[in-house]
Amino acid sequence: MSESILVIGGGFSGITAAVEAAEMGYDVYLVEKESYLGGRVAQLNKYFPKICPPTCGLEMNFRRIKTNPRITFYTMADVESVSGGPGDFNVSIKVRPRGTTPQCTNCKPGEAAATTEIPNEFNFGMNTRKALYLPHPMAYPHQCVLDMQSVDTSEIEAIKSAMPAGHVDPSQAEETVNLNVGAIIMATGWQPYDPNKIDNLKFGEFENVITNMMMERLASPSGPTEGKILRPSDNEEPKTVGFVQCAGSRDENHLGFCSYICCMATLKQITYLREQSPDIEAYVFYIDIRSPGRKYENFYKKLKEDEKVHFIKGKVADIQPGSAPGTVKLIAEDTVGGGKTEQEVDMAVLATGMQPTGAETKIPGIEYDDDGFVVPKDGIIPCGCAMRPIDVVSSAQSATAAALKAVHTLVRRAG
Amino acid sequence: MAETKKIQPDLSFIRGVMAAGGDTVNKCYQCATCSVVCPLSTEDSPFPRKEMLWAQWGLADKIAGDADVWLCHQCGDCSAYCPRDAKPGDVLGAIRINAIKHYAEPKALADLLSNTAGVLGTVIAAFVVWYIVAFLWSLHTGIKFPFPDGEVNYHHYFTFIPIDIVVLPIVGLVVWASYKGVTNFWADISKGSGIVSYTGTGPHPPLGILFTKYGIPAFQEILSHKRFEECGQTAERAKGHKLLLWSFIMLFIVTTVVFILNDIIYVPFLHEEFTPMPQWNPIKIFANIAAIMLVVGAWLIIKMRKQKTAEGVLKSSEQDWILVWLIFSVGATGIAAELFRLMNIGGIAYPTYILHLATVVTLFLAVPYSKFAHLLYRTTAYVYQRYEDDMKAGKAGFGLEVPVNPVGPPPAEEEKTEESEEPKEEKS
Repeated sequence: MSESILVIGGGFSGITAAVEAAEMGYDVYLVEKESYLGGRVAQLNKYFPKICPPTCGLEMNFRRIKTNPRITFYTMADVESVSGGPGDFNVSIKVRPRGTTPQCTNCKPGEAAATTEIPNEFNFGMNTRKALYLPHPMAYPHQCVLDMQSVDTSEIEAIKSAMPAGHVDPSQAEETVNLNVGAIIMATGWQPYDPNKIDNLKFGEFENVITNMMMERLASPSGPTEGKILRPSDNEEPKTVGFVQCAGSRDENHLGFCSYICCMATLKQITYLREQSPDIEAYVFYIDIRSPGRKYENFYKKLKEDEKVHFIKGKVADIQPGSAPGTVKLIAEDTVGGGKTEQEVDMAVLATGMQPTGAETKIPGIEYDDDGFVVPKDGIIPCGCAMRPIDVVSSAQSATAAALKAVHTLVRRAG
Repeated sequence: MAETKKIQPDLSFIRGVMAAGGDTVNKCYQCATCSVVCPLSTEDSPFPRKEMLWAQWGLADKIAGDADVWLCHQCGDCSAYCPRDAKPGDVLGAIRINAIKHYAEPKALADLLSNTAGVLGTVIAAFVVWYIVAFLWSLHTGIKFPFPDGEVNYHHYFTFIPIDIVVLPIVGLVVWASYKGVTNFWADISKGSGIVSYTGTGPHPPLGILFTKYGIPAFQEILSHKRFEECGQTAERAKGHKLLLWSFIMLFIVTTVVFILNDIIYVPFLHEEFTPMPQWNPIKIFANIAAIMLVVGAWLIIKMRKQKTAEGVLKSSEQDWILVWLIFSVGATGIAAELFRLMNIGGIAYPTYILHLATVVTLFLAVPYSKFAHLLYRTTAYVYQRYEDDMKAGKAGFGLEVPVNPVGPPPAEEEKTEESEEPKEEKS
């Protein structure tokens, strides 16, 4: 019998669940595969419901984690296997070496010594980082990461000697942590659906066809363009931007479900553009705009009144090169006005959906449905986007509910 | 205008479409991916999205007035990209099957020839009828029945007289039914697109202009298979189809030439049979090539359909299989009858010949009543599309150089509903 709770995934859901369970007086282990907590929310420029930057929700939660001795968390850690049953799960966790020590919070000297430019995954490859890097400016834990896979040993040595002694430690090895826990909260979240799989939308073929998550990074002050939305081909501000809704979602060839957030994400991103420059026009191609609830509906209504924002009912099913360099032509059928429509835009944003991480990365001992969502079991409680596609607010609510369910599991067993 | 239109779904129409292979129609959620990925869909009146909506709602009159259904070659591109697996290509195929039934007169023949049992029954009945005719003719000629003496010669069975007595009335029926079907179809699509009906009142093009200005380019396009070959997923199907079409044209030429030479010149005036022709006769060589093309073309289509059906790219309805197997049987029995005659095996040759005649008659009868009728309606749609474009641009070339004031359906039916999106209405 174990009285502790394991939370897998350190995004908004996982952090919330961990904090809630710990504050109820239970020991919590939090496991995150990335080198920082915060998950997908950390990558956003702003998020609903308050359209505030990620710091506004995450900072507070990080402080709750820091100050609560009941929470133990691991970053760069993967759960290898889960066995046993409710009240008595055995979990094996592999923790990858970070290559640095906690006092290593300023990577600058090491970055200067490093020579290899590595695509920055946090910014979806839109810029590069060095082998010693801070994942992003507000990363928590605020500690540099040494990427020992991407560069050779001589470069690592150069970085090490450039940094103060004891900061960089390439000798760190992978560790295995075995835990015995009473309940498991699955907060493994989502990944952006791979746009390369949607062949008719030509992602990768045209530089100025980007995804909605890339748009978040472009708009973010910590992003590759320092918050100015510029199109990738020439770093010029786009004057017309097309949004391709349901790029992969609600599509049996890709994601069979509605990803719930992409409509609102697009509407939110239009506000980024409209705030950036008064003459940017946006074109939204959609099947239906899904803005559930009064708040979201009002948000949509307000944007509809903006004459620079155009809504076209019809899904983009083909993208062709436009007449000017860098532009693209979005091709759809305008199902209200009639006839095929071709809209030339400076940049196109694919509103790609959320695919549960379970679709590609499955933890042995956990059951998933056909789409990759976690199937709830006694003692195994999914929340957030590991459960179903939902927004941040609903994720937080589901995380609190999951924390309570996990406590139930323990209390019931303890009798 | 806030007037509302009450939609009255024709449930039997929906059921008919679903039964004919369009059972996925209700999955469609109108995203319009299909209309964009379709290589044949037009700019102003894209399909098949609107047809999917009409079929879901049972708007049979909208579908009847829509020539676009016939511009589809069921390549399956739309079905491959359809996010709902609603298979628009197959639904349009099912709509066409229903349209053929709708325009068929008498309907009983369409019902008979749209199912395998009915077609087999027709072939067997025709087989029996030909034997009876052969028997009766043998009483007249005194030639031994059912296996005449001497070298195999099908004229021991028939001259053109008994054959024409049987075939010409069928030709009459087929021509009449085809005429009725095509003219009714033309009237419907004219009404649907708001253009003065050719058969209705108002100005209409002289038949000669209709033929030369719109018919000939349409026929040229059909012969070249230009559009069919644009199909993505099942482009190879066009190859088999092209072989078949050309083979039919060649066989039509052969039949006409032989009919004139034999039935009109040789027998009545020279009192001798023109057939069988020796194998070196150019007409015979031409005919044999056409026969091989027929069998090969049909076989290619069968193979392709089987493969693509197995891959889930397209569905093949009973009507699809009936037509292609019937064509294959005509070719196979024809070649077999010729080979057995040359090998002089009377015991097999004569029944094979009768079977050949039975399949030919059935296939011919099937022209307006089965999937074969696509040759009537698709051709008409190809002609109509050209005519409509010119009419709407106001240059129909027969004294109507100014824009035509389209006569639409009565206003009560024309009221737009919330979902009304027919592009053609925009122009009226």
